[in-house]
Amino acid sequence: MTFFPFQLPAANPQVAMVAAVLVGFGFGFVLERAGFGNARKLLGQFYGTDMVMLKVMFTAIVTAILGTVVLAGVGLLDLRALADGVSSETFLWPMIAGGLLIGVGIVASGYCPGTSLVGIASGKLDALLAYAGVVLGQLLWAELEFRGPIARFHRSGAFGHVYLYDLLRVPAPALAAGVVLMAIGAFLFGEKVERMVTKAPAGPGPTARNRVFAGVVAFGAVGLATLLLPVATAARAVPAGRIAPEELARRVLSEPWKVRVLDVRPMDACTKERVPGAECTPPAMLKDLSLADVSPARDLVVVGEGDLAQAPAEIRAYRGRVLVLDRGYEGWRAWALTPPALPGEGAAPSALETYRLRAGIQSALTGVKAAPPPPTPAAGGAPVQRKAGGGGCSG
Amino acid sequence: MRDPDRYWNPYLAGVAMGLVLLAAYLFVGKGLGASGPALRFAAVGLEAVAPSHVGAVPPLAHLAEEPTPLANYFVFLGLGTLLGGLVAAYTAGRMRAGVTKGPTASLGLRLGLAVGGGVLLGVGARLARGCASGQALTGGALLSAGSWAFMFAIFAGGYATAWIVRREWR
Repeated sequence: MTFFPFQLPAANPQVAMVAAVLVGFGFGFVLERAGFGNARKLLGQFYGTDMVMLKVMFTAIVTAILGTVVLAGVGLLDLRALADGVSSETFLWPMIAGGLLIGVGIVASGYCPGTSLVGIASGKLDALLAYAGVVLGQLLWAELEFRGPIARFHRSGAFGHVYLYDLLRVPAPALAAGVVLMAIGAFLFGEKVERMVTKAPAGPGPTARNRVFAGVVAFGAVGLATLLLPVATAARAVPAGRIAPEELARRVLSEPWKVRVLDVRPMDACTKERVPGAECTPPAMLKDLSLADVSPARDLVVVGEGDLAQAPAEIRAYRGRVLVLDRGYEGWRAWALTPPALPGEGAAPSALETYRLRAGIQSALTGVKAAPPPPTPAAGGAPVQRKAGGGGCSG
Repeated sequence: MRDPDRYWNPYLAGVAMGLVLLAAYLFVGKGLGASGPALRFAAVGLEAVAPSHVGAVPPLAHLAEEPTPLANYFVFLGLGTLLGGLVAAYTAGRMRAGVTKGPTASLGLRLGLAVGGGVLLGVGARLARGCASGQALTGGALLSAGSWAFMFAIFAGGYATAWIVRREWR
């Protein structure tokens, strides 16, 4: 069971509003105290005098990575579900182009959108103009982004939700430990550049820095240690979610390459009829699929005879998302293979829409596949009459 | 004594910011961001003067059609960011009206580049589906591959420009 993220704010708009203001308050306060409301201080990053952007941003990223990875390691958080919900999908080329533009924009304006808010709060006119520029730029691109070739570029390099631990095929805690080491290396290099550019002698041992380094290394090690916990093996494998027949039908029809359906009913039941594209994998065969080692890019959907409380252990070892079909094949049969009831007079448009969808899927899945009724053989088994002549090319 | 030139240790500030981000993940199920509200302001403003034009531009129409386009997580987050910055700047003795620029830069150059740079930030944030906080920080800490590519591109773009505009800052 995972406890995070809490769903409370979603249920109550007032709580969500207050929570958003509180999070923003913390963000703005820390940005200001780090010196990001001061454009000249921030720009020290790009002139080598003060690597404050590298230090603050990268320490923040490392801290948040370690927090999520350790919580996920002990089973309190579903890391992939959180990431899918919070981060945007990868569109590689526009993201690189946008990053280059933002890099130019930060150095030209002295702010990034977040720090310009803090600059405004500190009374800086240039910050206000920079944010006005942001509004203008967003509007400009919103006018263009859906037109012709620009729209194609805007959607290019689409890889969906893809994470560094998928690309490198390592567990998330191992990747987090790697990021910690990389960050410490980058910090030491940044400080060396600062000393070279400002020609200042190395000051007395910066104890705060060393404590932070020790802290992130310790948490990185805790993250790695969760890999050894027996309980964590079950926790790391994402707890199975549920998928309704309707959603499964949509996915196998519209994006079959993103989903893999495993039918764990007995072999003969599965070979007779199954969800389109499903593999027949009775429980005894599951270990041959070595699901723990295959790429976790596709979502796995498990189909049982009836409702499965939990996916089999071999499937839970899969590193990607596992979904259990609601009410199993029974549910599929009832939803997709049974003609839906006709909606009554004056039914809501949404009910009509659902009816059309179900009727369409039902006829596509049953009508096309069902063989036409066999012709009744003539009594006496008369031999088939060949045409005597006339017509046709053989005539 | 309040010293306007004294900032937090950057590593401790980074830990504090990471904890704010973690709290946003865990208790709200969202991240940080600052560019999102900008387009909402633009859509609401434009809807008031030219509603037919807004209807013809899908990304704007999509926002303007919401019953309350400004009652949004990122708008309140931005409001909180302003408030937090206000309290921090005031208590540190750094709240002073003015323009930040290098000693030899002209006011016109500085203000022109502030707007021009801001436009690039706005376009870039739209292209990349987030700005430095919404995409690099929020997605980067969730190890999203696109966010990391974006982050390196920011530094590349910044270093490529720094020499050209050095008169603005040095």
